[in-house]
Amino acid sequence: MNYLFASKVAKRAFIIIACLFVLSYVGTRFFTHIDLALYGYMVGTLVFIGGFLYRFSAWADRPPTNVILKKGLRLLFRKSTANTTVDHLAIYRFIWNRGWYRWTQHILLGWGCILAAFVTFPLVFGWMYFTMTDNGYYQVVFMGVDVLTVQADGWVAFLFYNALNITAFMVIGGAVMALYRRYKNMQARAEQSFVYDFLPLYLLLFISVTGLMLTASNMFLGGFGHPVISVTHQFAVIVTLIYLPFGKLAHIPFRPMSVFARNYREHYGEQEMKKCKVCSNEFVSAEQSADVINVLGKNEMAFQMEEGFHLAELCLPCRRKYRMFRFTGVPTHEINAREANQHAKG
Amino acid sequence: MGKQVLYIEMDNCIGCRSCLAACTQCGGHDNRNRNYVLDVDPFISRQTIPLMCFHCVNPACARSCPAQAIQIADNGAVLSALVEKCIGCQNCTIACPYGIPKFDEEQNLMYKCDLCYDRTKEGIPPMCASVCPTNTLQWIEEAELEEKRAQIPLANRKWTASHDPDVLEGETNVKISLPGILQGKQKLF
Repeated sequence: MNYLFASKVAKRAFIIIACLFVLSYVGTRFFTHIDLALYGYMVGTLVFIGGFLYRFSAWADRPPTNVILKKGLRLLFRKSTANTTVDHLAIYRFIWNRGWYRWTQHILLGWGCILAAFVTFPLVFGWMYFTMTDNGYYQVVFMGVDVLTVQADGWVAFLFYNALNITAFMVIGGAVMALYRRYKNMQARAEQSFVYDFLPLYLLLFISVTGLMLTASNMFLGGFGHPVISVTHQFAVIVTLIYLPFGKLAHIPFRPMSVFARNYREHYGEQEMKKCKVCSNEFVSAEQSADVINVLGKNEMAFQMEEGFHLAELCLPCRRKYRMFRFTGVPTHEINAREANQHAKG
Repeated sequence: MGKQVLYIEMDNCIGCRSCLAACTQCGGHDNRNRNYVLDVDPFISRQTIPLMCFHCVNPACARSCPAQAIQIADNGAVLSALVEKCIGCQNCTIACPYGIPKFDEEQNLMYKCDLCYDRTKEGIPPMCASVCPTNTLQWIEEAELEEKRAQIPLANRKWTASHDPDVLEGETNVKISLPGILQGKQKLF
């Protein structure tokens, strides 16, 4: 099987495209229900997949990333995975702990984008479409199966029709909050750059506003300017998709790694903890300590000390005290005293 | 104005911990200090030495980060993990040879000394150096650093004597002078 492809990237690309093709074949009832108005988005998505695989492969080949990815995949079916996933990827508890403003902004942006993607991608690939059955009723077809019949003027149908309008308002709200924070917050102002921090927000705003303009044109202007707005909206979406793997938005597809990392720490923490070579306190899993030493070795960093330990085998306070020893010659790390007064009150 | 560096003259430290308090007040430091002041010989003497990120030229923390969350700024400052990228694996805290990065379990986020990047990128001293009452922490131009270096020429081109091998693991952007007095050697200036 491996001889068939020039590289891992080629293999992954082939598998993904083949899966999409098969799913679309089934979902569109053997290509009888393709929405050709969305053809441009399909091409854009395929280019996005190419870019994403390129970025992902470059990233997954880095030694530390590789370790977490491989071990994370092996540990995917832990009991706590479901909990951690909801915590990290759905309700963003860790962002709540960074502040309610950032949490609100992220819930709006994050869920706005995810819900919009759940609506648009199935539509683009023909996995989901709507037909009319009886007069006044709407049929939702998903993967070629009739899943739901709703009243055409009912509230469920209303949510279907307006799903992208609702998510557009969510994204606009979130993006405006984020922009406001970027103008006011001192740390954000210190480190931000236009291309990395602002451009994604402007792109999301561009998409949401042109999308809403389509609705406005239909509802209030009798379809005035619809072709132009439609192409502009399509342009905005495709540019964002192609840019996505290379900028700040790349954290969306890469974020599930945080679940891997949590599993990795929990699992190997239960297996065996590493005892500090100086004070014997347990400070990290033995596995992680070994992995870090290994990764540093691959980067030609060997913090192997004359005393016979690697620095990654020392707990953090001992590592700091050991540095005092290296500065002064006084064996501070061997003196059994706790670091005093290290936390200033802000 | 030439490039400026943080320079630590260790034996001046009196352990007042002003640098810790100042650190909490930096714009983006969220009221948490990211530096340390350590007792050298706790039960014997009062000598202390400040310890903060040395901003390695080739930082182990960034090399060990699976998410590429630790960025290096144009002035060499190794920044705190990018909030959207940090996945909370804590590799950086294990990799750092000096034990500097801190980790917030609640926020699932690493934070560390960023050389007060919001200040230093404008040529303003970092908080710690701007409050240090004894000139332990100094924010000086590279030319001034060379002058200081020239005052204490040693045969091995080191600053002051200390035991071999080198006291730091690799080249750093923060410059230090070792506490010669502690080893019974007088400073020559």
